[in-house]
Amino acid sequence: MLEQLLIFTRGGLILWTCKELGNALKGSPIDTLIRSCLLEERSGAASYNYDAPGASYTLKWTFHNDLGLVFVAVYQRILHLLYVDELLAMVKHEFSQIYDPKRVEYFDFDETFRQLRKEAEARAEELKKVKPVGKSVNDGRKLVNKKGSGFDGGNKKNNSEANEGGNDDDGKGRKLENGHSYGNHNAAVVQGNRGMGLANGKENASSNNEAFDVTKLQKLKNKGGKKTSDTSVVSKGSKVDPKKKVTKKNRVWDDTPKDAKLDFTDHVEENVNENIEVMAADQGESMMDKEEIVSSDSEDDEDEVVSKDSKPDAKKKGWFSSMFQSIAGKANLEKADLEPALKALKDRLMTKNVAEEIAEKLCESVAASLEGKKLASFTRVSSTVQAAMEEALVRILTPRRSIDILRDVHAAKEQRKPYVVVFVGVNGVGKSTNLAKVAYWLLQHKVSVMMAACDTFRSGAVEQLRTHARRLQIPIFEKGYEKDPAVVAKEAIQEATRNGSDVVLVDTAGRMQDNEPLMRALSKLIYLNNPDLVLFVGEALVGNDAVDQLSKFNQKLADLSTSPNPRLIDGILLTKFDTIDDKVGAALSMVYISGSPVMFVGCGQSYTDLKKLNVKAIVKTLLK
Amino acid sequence: MEGIEQWKTEAQQWLRQGIEYAHQIPPTQLYAAVAVLLFTTLLLLIIRLLKRTKSNTIVLSGLSGSGKTVLFYQLRDGSSHQGTVTSMEPNEGTFLLHSESAKKGKIKPVHVVDVPGHSRLRPKLDEFLPQAAGIVFVVDALEFLPNLSAVTEYLYDILTKASVVKRKLPVLICCNKTDKVTAHTKEFIRKQLEKEIEKLRVSRSGVSDADIANDYALGIPGEAFSFSQCINKVTVGEASGLTGDISQVEEFIRAHVK
Repeated sequence: MLEQLLIFTRGGLILWTCKELGNALKGSPIDTLIRSCLLEERSGAASYNYDAPGASYTLKWTFHNDLGLVFVAVYQRILHLLYVDELLAMVKHEFSQIYDPKRVEYFDFDETFRQLRKEAEARAEELKKVKPVGKSVNDGRKLVNKKGSGFDGGNKKNNSEANEGGNDDDGKGRKLENGHSYGNHNAAVVQGNRGMGLANGKENASSNNEAFDVTKLQKLKNKGGKKTSDTSVVSKGSKVDPKKKVTKKNRVWDDTPKDAKLDFTDHVEENVNENIEVMAADQGESMMDKEEIVSSDSEDDEDEVVSKDSKPDAKKKGWFSSMFQSIAGKANLEKADLEPALKALKDRLMTKNVAEEIAEKLCESVAASLEGKKLASFTRVSSTVQAAMEEALVRILTPRRSIDILRDVHAAKEQRKPYVVVFVGVNGVGKSTNLAKVAYWLLQHKVSVMMAACDTFRSGAVEQLRTHARRLQIPIFEKGYEKDPAVVAKEAIQEATRNGSDVVLVDTAGRMQDNEPLMRALSKLIYLNNPDLVLFVGEALVGNDAVDQLSKFNQKLADLSTSPNPRLIDGILLTKFDTIDDKVGAALSMVYISGSPVMFVGCGQSYTDLKKLNVKAIVKTLLK
Repeated sequence: MEGIEQWKTEAQQWLRQGIEYAHQIPPTQLYAAVAVLLFTTLLLLIIRLLKRTKSNTIVLSGLSGSGKTVLFYQLRDGSSHQGTVTSMEPNEGTFLLHSESAKKGKIKPVHVVDVPGHSRLRPKLDEFLPQAAGIVFVVDALEFLPNLSAVTEYLYDILTKASVVKRKLPVLICCNKTDKVTAHTKEFIRKQLEKEIEKLRVSRSGVSDADIANDYALGIPGEAFSFSQCINKVTVGEASGLTGDISQVEEFIRAHVK
């Protein structure tokens, strides 16, 4: 049964709740929905799952953009009610007829709602009798059914829009209130979605929604624990485990005794006084502290350019009617009107190196927020869409929490603990280089830094950090190669506490996101040391892989951690920003998929090339 | 070239005709018309100038969940109706405060704006500050300590914004939810905020020329920060949105919107 149905304004006032379903909701599902989904521009998703101690709900919503109303239905996840979408649509229709901006109480709506609910339930009953128990999905009425969400175990944290991947087959050719089938969702996307984990993605393990799967029943049984419900992952892990201990041995070609020493650095240099390499202090101000001057080309200039190429496929016939509409300004925006503008916008975003599915989801979310809205007079559809998209982009890129690292460092200093930062990422993105840049910046703010060389795999990694440490004159904690990185990190933190360093920067080895044993090792490092900041280092050159990288990293960190509250990625460090000209889309993809803010941007290879993300500049470049 | 010549001659002809016509009108009418025109423009300019000095906007800001929307509806209607959820958009309204609707006389309606507190929607605050006559910063007195750092940062940002300092906007720090038993007192909250802002001030102005994140610096260097050091007037008050005990807020509003 439906737990609750709410109607509230976008400004936050609840206009109506159903009195009959008087159950108080455990936790605060609505607030969480707003904060994690609607404000994160994921309103194109079909539903949202919420877990509170003692209850697990699924929420569905629909907007009335013209009046600024939101309709949300909450029900238990175990029951998969077929009639919710239809009920929401009908409620929306009925309520918008009696809505008056001045009124705040709508008790007369109770009666209407009761009738609507009876109708919807009756229809659902009929359907259940008609459809076979196996719940095959393609029939005429096609009420979207979130059975994917219902059965995939209550282990999902926060959003799992992976659900929509499995249910896209249902939604084709039918008007959905939650606006997620725009004809763009097709089987290809479904396949793609099954391959990757989406959002803070637990992977949608059940790829067969058609037949009732006994394994799903099993997963339901395992609902208690927070561990992964993906059985394949577990089996893969156990197989590879024994192989983990293979270490590299030097190749022997003949009978000469093996040379055990592989460390060929020149030890003479260490004892020479450091004057040779000390020049860090004179490199000037780090770009972090420089305010970026946003070039204010006139806005009109942009708009003209925008209007010229924003509608490459606008039909000539439609020009006159759109002109007329823009002057009269009375038309309600329909999906069909939004489509060409949105498609053009999506293409533009993709040419700026935004991952394809991110652009897709963003466009859907913007469409969901614009559908049904009245066009203001003297505006065209494309400019309205543009404005909405700009607002959405600013909203996504604005950090959700404070990114003032200095403040956190000072807070940790007061507690006499070092502030630990761990740099993670795939191979070759620039972790060690940017670690040195961050160290330089911190040094300029009079914070004492220590480096920890936990990259014990790559040849030369420790020497690289040793060179940086020598140039910056900061202590470095290293244990050579082939040691357990987690243990090295732990000892480094203890050393830092002993010698009073404020910050410990931990460098880890690069690893691919689907390399199970390495991800396990990383998870162990993070679990053991509980760092204050887990910084994901990603390069701005990455394309669609950014989505995969970040979501897999987050997922593996969550799955493979043995603690009940796993640490996820807290921030992003975007590197090689100087190599992309204006194709800044990677920033957007990364922020969208992980929800964590971009804390630093690396824009060069010297110590001063580290800056903050300028949200307005990025948005401007993306939409140019 | 000939086209331009033609147009020139035509334009000159029209000019001559216009001047002849103007000469035909009796001079008094002409002067009267010009005088009326000048007078109305002057009047409009003066009205605009006068209006600009007195703004009647009050901005409600604060963290998400501190009770701004409830306060907004209390001010407007005297009750918070059926409850609120996290706001996604600002709530604006120009109205007479509910408690004053019974009073007779010429009371100016107040334009109250409730800006969402969610961090993603922070930029919306900057849209409304330029026209504000006062700011009510709502603090959750119940969940004060867990959110202390976020509250401090937000308050610090507001107190160092150029539009606030230059125009000396008065700020009321309103401790909400005081009807609950475990809510902190306003004195406690004031002291904690002053301490935290002091810490923040020190860390932010560590390397003063390198850090230009905020427009102005707060307080006097060398002394512990206290709200009395702010150029704009900062006061602390109490309120309870749910029960309707919002008299201090209303006094503040009335004091600054005359």
